[in-house]
Amino acid sequence: MTKLAGKIALVTGGRGGIGRAIVKRFLAEGAHVYAADLTQQGSLAEHDADGSQFIKLDVTSETDAIAAMERVRADHGRLDILVNAAGIEIEKTIEDTTLDEWNTSFAVNVTGTFLTSKYALPLMRAAAAGGTSSSIINFGSYDGFIADPGLAAYCATKGAVHALTRAMACDHGPEGIRVNAICPGYVDTPMLQSFFTGEGSGGDGKSIDDLQQVVKDVHPMRTYGTPDDIANLVHWLASDEARYASGQLWVLDGGLSAQVQQMKL
Amino acid sequence: MDKGAIVTGGSRGIGAAIVAALDNAGYRVLTCGRGARPADLPASVHWMSADVSKPADAAALVDYASAELGPLSLLVNNAGVQVEKTIGESTDADWDLVVDINCRGVFNMSRAVLHVMQDHGGSIVNIGSISGNVADPSMALYNASKAFVHGLTRSIAVDHGPQVRCNAISPGWIMTEMATDGFALANDPERAMRDAIARHPVGRMGKPEDIANAVLWLASDQSHYVNGACITVDGGMTAASPLNPGLF
Repeated sequence: MTKLAGKIALVTGGRGGIGRAIVKRFLAEGAHVYAADLTQQGSLAEHDADGSQFIKLDVTSETDAIAAMERVRADHGRLDILVNAAGIEIEKTIEDTTLDEWNTSFAVNVTGTFLTSKYALPLMRAAAAGGTSSSIINFGSYDGFIADPGLAAYCATKGAVHALTRAMACDHGPEGIRVNAICPGYVDTPMLQSFFTGEGSGGDGKSIDDLQQVVKDVHPMRTYGTPDDIANLVHWLASDEARYASGQLWVLDGGLSAQVQQMKL
Repeated sequence: MDKGAIVTGGSRGIGAAIVAALDNAGYRVLTCGRGARPADLPASVHWMSADVSKPADAAALVDYASAELGPLSLLVNNAGVQVEKTIGESTDADWDLVVDINCRGVFNMSRAVLHVMQDHGGSIVNIGSISGNVADPSMALYNASKAFVHGLTRSIAVDHGPQVRCNAISPGWIMTEMATDGFALANDPERAMRDAIARHPVGRMGKPEDIANAVLWLASDQSHYVNGACITVDGGMTAASPLNPGLF
């Protein structure tokens, strides 16, 4: 597995559920990986053992974004792969969402993608000057296409990421930079478990296990995804095999959004 | 108003509601079906027994309308059939039935009517389906036939403007006799209906009149700048995730 041999990659949210799986896969494929996140989430030794480099990054901070890219520049002078995986989810309707929560959602999910990409671009241009394209992979969501109830701000931020992805692909394609978005459906992460916990305690007697089974059964594949499923696609989009793939929104949801709602007849 | 309209498949369900709405709005309406004239068809509405899958029948419908109704300004391609099977279960005869009526019928009627409409202008409204965008299980040929209708709608719009506008309506769950029968067969019909309603942000199921209203608007000058569009009329159902209500 050397599909990313010699590539320099940075993954925001790199210590989170999906981000961590991407970091591991990139390392396994031979990339040099920076895992950027708010905290180490564990001992330094544990994460150094996987071979990734930790960068403390609050994606909403312009200072942090500049500092992170300065470090990559000092180490390598280029960046081949950027994955904007950092994201948060507020589980509320717009009526229940406070202005602070709304602003925080956009700051992390949209402004974070903007800032990290903005300051990565000179390094990605430098990488593309070597002859192979560099690749930015944003995190959209199937919620950017169709709405889950009680996730209004999240749905809106992901719709914004979809539009930003296409805009970035148009603007920076001529410079050899590909830009795509992954649009996951239900993926087994701490974020999903928190969603189940929140909903499961909502009352009507359903246990969290019941909820999980109901959700799995609605999927044509009868299960939800794992972070590794997402990493499988992200690593391909990051690789040179995807050299003609750009500007697209890649839905990965076990077929969930291919179907009409199923009436219980 | 002195406008002629053809509505295919107007004997029942959505087609009958479209016929009634156009009749009330003053259109001179010709409708058709494979059987005999329905007893409850308004007296002012013309009827011809015809099979839209046959090019000769399509030509006869347009000839009759041109001779009897005055300038033909509207065609509503509503006639359609569904076969509730996966492709593995579908026979060659199923394919012929669904594709002949849902696809070839729209082609036959549109081609025949364009000869007339290109002279004095007009509007074609096709009945597509949300199933042409997202799949209903065990409806493979029907789903595919409706995606064909959406694609042909865009092609007619692109090729035959400015004289002719062409749009499609994608109905969601409309409570026709066919749908009512489906609910009646449920283990717990009342619970099934509650669940179904919960999946519709408007809080009710669709009525044939909802589709007829959209046809009237697409036929009118109010929609003069709408061309090549597939308008979803489904009470918001497909705006929501399939994981929607009742689950949580």
